[in-house]
Amino acid sequence: MRDRPSGFTNPWLQLALSVVCVLVSELLLKRGASQTADLTKSWSWTGISGLASPLVWLAIIFVIISFVSWLYVLKYIPLSVAFPLSRVVDALVPLGSWIFLGEKISYLRWCGIALVVVGLAVVARPIGRLEERL
Amino acid sequence: MTWVSFSLILIALVTFVTGQLLLKKGMELTAPTKRLPHEVTLFLASGILSMTISFFLTLGLLQKFDLSYLYPFQGLSVILIAITAAVTLHEKVTLQLAVGALLISAGIILISLS
Repeated sequence: MRDRPSGFTNPWLQLALSVVCVLVSELLLKRGASQTADLTKSWSWTGISGLASPLVWLAIIFVIISFVSWLYVLKYIPLSVAFPLSRVVDALVPLGSWIFLGEKISYLRWCGIALVVVGLAVVARPIGRLEERL
Repeated sequence: MTWVSFSLILIALVTFVTGQLLLKKGMELTAPTKRLPHEVTLFLASGILSMTISFFLTLGLLQKFDLSYLYPFQGLSVILIAITAAVTLHEKVTLQLAVGALLISAGIILISLS
C-alpha cells in the first residue's frame, strides 16, 4: 500500500461510494425493469425493453461511477480486504428492497444478513491497526 | 444440473475472479515511474474482457436457472478472491480476514437460499 490521500480521495470513502452506487443502481434497475416489463414480446427475456425507462439509464450511470471508484479503491487497498468489504452490498440490497420496494424478507434471509454483517465486522476490525502501521 | 451447466457456472466464477485480479494488478502498476502506461491498459482491458465474459455467461445461465440457485456461487467469490489474491498478488491474508470472508460467504449463501 502506498501513501494515501485524505478527504474525498480517501480510498475507504471511495469504497463506500462504490458500494452505495451499486445499491442505488440495483434498486433503480428493479424499479425501471418492473415498469417496462412486457412479457408478451418474444424477446422479453433479454431485458432490452428496460432501456425505455429513464430509471434504467440513471442506474447505468451509477454502475459506471461505482466501477470508476472501485478501480480507484484497487489502487490503494489489497483486493483480499476490499472485495470482502464490498460484499456488504449483498446485505444492503435485500434491506433496500425491503425499505424502498416493499419486498418481504424471510426469517432465514434476516439470519443471512446478520451473518454478512458479523463477517464484515471481523474483516474490518484489523483495518484500524493496518492503518496505524502505514 | 448437467455437466455443461456446472462447467458454465464454474467458468463464470473463474472469469469473474480473474477479472478482479487483473484489474487489481493493473491499478497497482499505476504507481508513478513503475511501469509503462500500456501495461496498465493491457491489464485493465483484459480484466474488463474477463468480467464481460463472466457477465454474459451469467446472463445466459439466468435464462436457464433461478437467480436464487445461481447467486450462492457468487458467495464463493469472496473466499476465492481472498485465496487467489494471497497466492498471485502476495497479499497477506490474516486468520481474521479468512474467518470474516467465510462468514460473509455463508451469509450470502443464506440470503440467496431463503
